[in-house]
Amino acid sequence: MTLRAELRTFFFLNREILRWIFLGPFQGRPVRTAAVFRQMVRIGVQAFPMTALTSLSIGLTLAMQGAQELSRMGASAYVPNLVAVTILRELGPLLVGVVVIGRSGSAVTAELGTMKVGEEIEALEVMAINPVRFLVVPRFLAMLVMLPVLTVFGDYIGLAGGWTICHFAMDMGTATYIQRLMEAGHPLDLYSGMVKSFVFAWLIILISCQSGLGVSGGAEGVGQATTSSVVTSILAMLVANAVLTAVFFVF
Amino acid sequence: MPVIEVRDLVRKFGDRTVLNGVTFSVEKGETMIIMGGSGCGKSTLLRHIIGSMKPTSGSIKLFGEEITTMPAPQLEQLRLRFGMNFQFGALLQSLTVGENVALPLVENSRVDPAIIDLIVKMKLELVGLTGFENLKPAEISGGMRKRVGLARAVALDPELLFSDEPTSGLDPIMTAVIDRLTHDLTRKLDMTAVVVTHDMVSAFRIGSKMIVLGAGKRAGTIIAQGSPDEIRNHPDPEVRQFINGEPDGPVPLKLSPEDYIDRLLGHPRQKGVAY
Ligand SMILES: Nc1ncnc2c1ncn2[C@@H]1O[C@H](COP(=O)(O)OP(=O)(O)O)[C@@H](O)[C@H]1O
Ligand SMILES: [Mg+2]
Repeated sequence: MTLRAELRTFFFLNREILRWIFLGPFQGRPVRTAAVFRQMVRIGVQAFPMTALTSLSIGLTLAMQGAQELSRMGASAYVPNLVAVTILRELGPLLVGVVVIGRSGSAVTAELGTMKVGEEIEALEVMAINPVRFLVVPRFLAMLVMLPVLTVFGDYIGLAGGWTICHFAMDMGTATYIQRLMEAGHPLDLYSGMVKSFVFAWLIILISCQSGLGVSGGAEGVGQATTSSVVTSILAMLVANAVLTAVFFVF
Repeated sequence: MPVIEVRDLVRKFGDRTVLNGVTFSVEKGETMIIMGGSGCGKSTLLRHIIGSMKPTSGSIKLFGEEITTMPAPQLEQLRLRFGMNFQFGALLQSLTVGENVALPLVENSRVDPAIIDLIVKMKLELVGLTGFENLKPAEISGGMRKRVGLARAVALDPELLFSDEPTSGLDPIMTAVIDRLTHDLTRKLDMTAVVVTHDMVSAFRIGSKMIVLGAGKRAGTIIAQGSPDEIRNHPDPEVRQFINGEPDGPVPLKLSPEDYIDRLLGHPRQKGVAY
């Protein structure tokens, strides 16, 4: 498909999703709450361990590298500041985004793609069940809730990683570490990270669903769509990240 | 007024014409049998009638309404009135057998969950699958999946039923059960049915009208159409070959030696060259 056709499908899918969420309930077609929660577990809750591991390791290494470099200038007391700003503003949302793309976004594409290939999507349509309402909306809402939640969670784990180094390797007191974090980390940093992760969630789930629903040509098609959905999601997220960082600098 | 009216239906995939001017109609209460060799376009024809594919040209009317140009919301309303049993079942793999049959009821009716449970049991009973409610589609055989597909297609008691090879892969007893079910639904409940089948026994058992799609030069067109008796005594040799299940006839088993060599070479043979 050409880029233009893809973009048109993207906006069409957006419109359909919003229509089902906001207008559906007034037409006797409410959001399928139970399905939303099931997807929250699959997309979000099951990604917690992986998110924790990634964030922890980044918090640790960031503090180690920071300690090394800053101590040369006699500024090792500023390690918490470095950790706080880097994780809250940039690395937290991005890293969690990458984890969720690799783990949950790809799974969504593969699942919807397999359903497409197995004629399940067509069967739904013939049964007068709209696939966007039935399949896409629950995944969309689940992602929109869970990615920011995972990001906050990942932020805290990352900060805890920094604490481990400061506490055990640099003899910094826990109270000092927290105090320095509070000084360095502005609430706006956290909020900007949250806004980012919300936008990432939107992009990731739409790209994943669109790739899945657009599959043609059997198992091979599912594989290709999954790969391209991961690549496209990451690219879209990086571009959005750069734009949002620029926007937040203005404030 | 016919329930289904197909007129001059043409469908091309790229430059391949799969349906080439198909015209027929089905009256209320009839059971229309669609026959034809594998790959001749039977499933494609059904896909057009249920509105999941759009024709290159031609008209399709269901219950008197043109569906080829119908907007999506209206088509959705119309779809509540018919059920489709797909060739390979097309069950939702993530749901159990029972949940699959319940799906149209849960989504498109206001029936109480306890009643839905009952209806699901009844429908599964009809297709001989009592007690399989809690298995996933991956845990049952292909023939069973097909029967679940049929149970799901009739869950909402549709006025019109489409069935794509419902009995292929079933044993003779199960075939008879499914045929009886289709027969009862049409003759007793006045449902209209369109059934694709290769099984001549079951075709003549349930059909009240038949069409045969052609192969080769006549691909994509109806080569015979009429009542079961008319089809049984049809003069066309290709129809006779199909009905009697003969390996060789107008639809050739083997190419002539000349054609065979041409096809192997990918171009016509040169004159005067010995092979
Ligand atoms: N989506 C499609 N794209 C291209 N060709 C198709 C498509 N669907 C069916 N066809 C072609 O149409 C022909 C008829 O297929 P089908 O209707 O499935 O046959 P059958 O009579 O066995 O059910 C086949 O040659 C097939 O290759
Ligand atoms: Mg077929």
